[in-house]
Amino acid sequence: MYFEEIKVGHSFPNIKKEEITRIQLVKYAGASGDFNPLHTVEEAGEQAGTGIIAHGMLIMGMTAQGITSWIPRKYVKKLNVRFKKMTFPGEVIQISGRVLEKKENKLVVCEVFAKNSEGEVKVSGTFEAILPSKEKVS
Amino acid sequence: MSNVKELIGIEYDPYSFEVEKGKIKEFAMAIGDDNPIYYNLESAQIEGFKRIPIPLTYLTVIDLWGGYGFQEKMEKLKLNVTNILHGEQEYEFLKDVYAGDILTVTAKVTKVETKKGTLGGMDLITTESKYTNQNGELVAISKNVLIQLH
Repeated sequence: MYFEEIKVGHSFPNIKKEEITRIQLVKYAGASGDFNPLHTVEEAGEQAGTGIIAHGMLIMGMTAQGITSWIPRKYVKKLNVRFKKMTFPGEVIQISGRVLEKKENKLVVCEVFAKNSEGEVKVSGTFEAILPSKEKVS
Repeated sequence: MSNVKELIGIEYDPYSFEVEKGKIKEFAMAIGDDNPIYYNLESAQIEGFKRIPIPLTYLTVIDLWGGYGFQEKMEKLKLNVTNILHGEQEYEFLKDVYAGDILTVTAKVTKVETKKGTLGGMDLITTESKYTNQNGELVAISKNVLIQLH
């Protein structure tokens, strides 16, 4: 992938994740070290009035997976997201993205979204990548 | 906290944690990210990495396992756990981070804003963390925004 090949407005192919399960939340809790009981303990979810909710950072991780399936990890330099809505076990997340801008020094700025099947935005953000150029570097 | 602005400048005690190959694999598997660069040295090298690199959101592992857990962080900032939301998160990479690296983190509260949002009044508390590797190179900067609902 070269800087010259990227077009502003280009949409990356949607990445559809598998349904989020409670087991996945247990795995993510252990992997990340986020043991907030809201993500794994039924009673804690009930007490909060939300039920068990997914870690926002898990959805950001899925967002990052989408990005690095489009652009090699090596080139991605920055990712910024906002957490918009809670995500629940049973939901299916899709990652979509689009090129917003091309800048100097082979920098591309893109937007990215994690949405559920109904199109509700869970995470929205932008990322930046520095791509190699076809031009010979002197 | 009587005046949330007083949080500005609060620094966390620095902490260090090693980036572990097995932990990278565990983290990628939990997300369901099957990118081979996180599992296999050869695949990582084909993409131009020296060793196995970290996923874009992996630094949360360094923070939570190596530094302050969520509860400890809340205590440090004297915030009430029940009305806190994670609003925003940013990672910026200045250099590659690899399995085997030992990262040292310094973090402090850099900004506190009070706003009226759709959920009513809220404070936005920004913490900036800097990650330095064993060679003394600044490799990454993260920004975390916590929302305290009034």
